[in-house]
Amino acid sequence: MAVYEKKYVWSVLLRLFHWAFALSIFTLIVTGLYINWPWTNTWMEGSHQFTMATMRWIHFTAGMIFICAVILRLYLWFFGNKYERLTDFLPINGRNVKNLFSTLLYYAYLTNEHEERAGHNALAGTAYFFTIILAVIQAITGLYLLYPENSFFVSLGSIFGTQQEARFIHHLINWYFAWFILVHLYIVVWNSIRNPEGLVSSIFDGHKFLHKK
Amino acid sequence: MDRSIFMGGIPKTISRRGFLRACAIATAAMGLPMEMVTKVAEAAENPQRPRVVWLHFQECTGCSESLLRASHPDLASLILDLISLDYHETLMAAAGKQAEENLEKAIEKGDYILVVEGGIPLRDGGVYCKIGGRTAVEILKKAAEKAVAIIAIGTCASYGGVQAAKPNPTGAVGVGDIIKNKPVINVPGCPPNPYNFLSTVLYYLTFKKLPPTDKWGRPLFAFGRKIHDHCERRPHFDEGRYVEQFGDQGHRLGFCLYKVGCKGPETYSNCPVIRFNDVEVWPVSVGNGCYGCTEPNFWDTMTPFHKRLPNVKIPGGKGIQASATEIGKTALGVTAAAIAVHAGVGIAKKLATGSKSEE
Repeated sequence: MAVYEKKYVWSVLLRLFHWAFALSIFTLIVTGLYINWPWTNTWMEGSHQFTMATMRWIHFTAGMIFICAVILRLYLWFFGNKYERLTDFLPINGRNVKNLFSTLLYYAYLTNEHEERAGHNALAGTAYFFTIILAVIQAITGLYLLYPENSFFVSLGSIFGTQQEARFIHHLINWYFAWFILVHLYIVVWNSIRNPEGLVSSIFDGHKFLHKK
Repeated sequence: MDRSIFMGGIPKTISRRGFLRACAIATAAMGLPMEMVTKVAEAAENPQRPRVVWLHFQECTGCSESLLRASHPDLASLILDLISLDYHETLMAAAGKQAEENLEKAIEKGDYILVVEGGIPLRDGGVYCKIGGRTAVEILKKAAEKAVAIIAIGTCASYGGVQAAKPNPTGAVGVGDIIKNKPVINVPGCPPNPYNFLSTVLYYLTFKKLPPTDKWGRPLFAFGRKIHDHCERRPHFDEGRYVEQFGDQGHRLGFCLYKVGCKGPETYSNCPVIRFNDVEVWPVSVGNGCYGCTEPNFWDTMTPFHKRLPNVKIPGGKGIQASATEIGKTALGVTAAAIAVHAGVGIAKKLATGSKSEE
């Protein structure tokens, strides 16, 4: 009989980040797509029916939560516990590079070898790293669009060009997040079914399970 | 489009271009598709010019002035050439007895459009407004008998206007309160937009019937939507950028005038779209809120003019951008606190145990 070790991996702060991030990006995608294509406009808009204004308000508020979540994650990259730090999951050492390729093969059903890890696997970690980078871009372009008269956000956002160019980037990244949610959910559930770590439950209680050596 | 229809009956005083432009503006104002311009133009250039009798009662002639100020296209000549203005006290050459004879004759002939400017006093037998020895209400009733349609131009003729404001000492009322057996179209406003008046006339000429109206008798094409809903400053309202006081920074930046008393959220009119005086202005565009002058009894219900309307819902409480910014600042504070606690605990642990591991 296999014996498992219960390991505390995800701190309260990381789980807070995760759920703030998850709920805010879901809200942002839905309201963002509405703002892009206000399909109820012809029959709902009017002085006592602020559909677009309400959608934008939800979008902006969720955006603020999103920015805070991203700041939390950036902090944890450097000051979190062992598993939350960049060094644990970026392919910057032999162990992680090896894990990156083995995970790719494993996901493609080309190998049955699975390295049990307490933290992120290198593939997921790398994907999350780039997701946070995109989130920072999303936050900057978003603030640029929200405060077109604020000189700080304008100079910051101008890295991405004009308002229209920034809006386009903002829109593309919105689709990236929609795609990310689907892929993330699929892989996490897929992993939870096949492997003993308990990926799904870990983001609720912070614990993972590893074979005791 | 048959070109010849624009060459024949057009009066010499107006260019073909100006004529078509006026017809196009009127067609657009009536909410009709562009194909209808032909039909409107045809109706407008009909040599059988409709006769118009224009009566003045308790008024300031501001409505007539507004009509004369329409200069591009030259609406004055358009109106004078397109319609046969049989009687208009301030525009006609005749005076005194002669003028009264003109009115008698015009009324006898019948089949005219009656335009009324000004309120009609009813108290004490209507003695507070008399022309040629007859009371306003007498003249109106007589003129209305043979009219095919009645247009009340301006808020006074429509609902009584300023003289009907509390306590209404002369008992002033609008045309619709006296004439019950004829259709009365109200084109309110103080002053009304000349194009709304012109459009009403052209609508009648084109379709031989009066335009559909709301419950206050106003043509829906002009008064069907709220000022607030197509105001150019509306985005500022939604975002929460308001003029708090006349002359402040927000006022100079052209923010929303709701907090300094704009009545746009309760007023139905097309002012933001059609604008005034051919120089693209209307009150809000020059920094003063709407007074609600197209609404019945606005002197009573819309005053004080520079106090904000109660019970107007602002999106997001304070406007969406302002309120999101506030929420953002709070959330940022909470995040900073969470990070501070986390960092504090980490450092304290390190100091207590002397170990480097944070796990």
